[in-house]
Amino acid sequence: MKEELFLSGRMNPNIDPYLNIWHWQIPLYLFLGGLAAGILFFAALYTIRGKAHLMPATVKWATFLVPAALVLGLISLFLDLKHKPFFWQLYTTIRFESPMSWGAWVLMLVTPLSFIWSASYLRETVPSWKWRYRWLESFESWVIKNRPGLSWAMIVLAVILGIYTGILLSAFNARPLWNASILGPLFLVSGLSTGAAVIMWLSKDPAERKLMSKIDLMLIGIELFLIVHLFMGFLASTAVQIDAAGLFLGGQFTLGFWVFVVLLGIIVPGILEIMEIRGYHIPVAVPAILILYGGLLFRFIMVEAGQITRYLY
Amino acid sequence: METTDRSKKYINPYLGGVLLGLLLLLTVYITGRGLGASGAVKNAVVASVNEISPAHVKHNAYYSQFISDDVNPLNNWLVFEVIGVLAGAFISGALSGRLKWKVEHQPGIRWRTRLIFAAAGGMLFGIGSQFARGCTSGAALTGSAVLAAGGILTMMMIFGTGYLFARFFRKLWV
Repeated sequence: MKEELFLSGRMNPNIDPYLNIWHWQIPLYLFLGGLAAGILFFAALYTIRGKAHLMPATVKWATFLVPAALVLGLISLFLDLKHKPFFWQLYTTIRFESPMSWGAWVLMLVTPLSFIWSASYLRETVPSWKWRYRWLESFESWVIKNRPGLSWAMIVLAVILGIYTGILLSAFNARPLWNASILGPLFLVSGLSTGAAVIMWLSKDPAERKLMSKIDLMLIGIELFLIVHLFMGFLASTAVQIDAAGLFLGGQFTLGFWVFVVLLGIIVPGILEIMEIRGYHIPVAVPAILILYGGLLFRFIMVEAGQITRYLY
Repeated sequence: METTDRSKKYINPYLGGVLLGLLLLLTVYITGRGLGASGAVKNAVVASVNEISPAHVKHNAYYSQFISDDVNPLNNWLVFEVIGVLAGAFISGALSGRLKWKVEHQPGIRWRTRLIFAAAGGMLFGIGSQFARGCTSGAALTGSAVLAAGGILTMMMIFGTGYLFARFFRKLWV
């Protein structure tokens, strides 16, 4: 008798009927990582362009939130790990083909950089602040002198961090909803938009606020364009991708995505920003909160829905 | 020079009424349903109670009508309509320059008094709307638009009793 033995990973728990292994930790991290990337990107951009003195919220105040966002994000990533004591092994290797390796190393570089960057503005924020050691003071003056150079490193790392939050999902080729190369740029643009929203919210300078509002409006336009093309791509693809898109086009995520993410989290704040630019009085917190909420919900829905999509066999 | 404060310029009430009627017509045409407001609040209450004590909802004659295993009570078109009303009202308020934190009340009373009476009135209206199976928009407006006798009666009773009681309570708000 000829015996055939089939082995399949689908027999493992939480794999069939659909993947059920990523919970709130991952989308929360993707949101915080994107937000941090957005704030750092604009801080670096305006420092490089020599306009730091015109954009205090962009270059200084908002960057104080970045270390907190990254630390919280890293804590939630850590909580998601099954074998927590082995997390350090990510740093024993560099693998260019692995998004997790990219992410681990980028975070390793960008987190300390964000601490150093905001610490260098600490004395401007708290004038009575004094560094305890002499070497810290000389390090501070070195950082202040080299801010434009550090900005170049920061802007590159911010873009990698922002794109990687999308690539982390899109490199997962067994989940059709995630396996779209447009996800990297989409997550980057969404992260930049949430970053711009925070800056806009914190800014007390009308000119700076208006500029960030205009930038955010442009990002909203790009985001909508990418979302439409994401779905056009799915619908022009195979039955697997069409089935994945179906979750958003009549399926269980239709209302959540189109009403709460696209309408309330992208289009309505966009309308409010257009009105503000045209001179109507809008409390800036409202569009900012809507954008942040839309960005957070977008990641929760993408992670949740992506796990449900699969190859049809 | 005459200055006009945009925030004090309201639409003509008769024109507003006609526009509201047309909106109702458009709503029926698009969604196949009429307008409503208290239904959204009711569904939010049912969903909240169901979240805290599902057993209570199941055994309560009133709540149990609105709950089933496969449909979330918040997945109701009235809930989405009210979210849209909030967003639309915010944009409309911004366009008319009326977005600020304030409690409108008669100068003779304190804002706290106004809020307490508003909450008490709202509660009575909520209870009444459930006896009447709908509020001003759901029962009176939509009901009378389809010539339902109950809708027309509700409309007459809401505005009739409102007219009678306004004499005693109008000092609270204008």
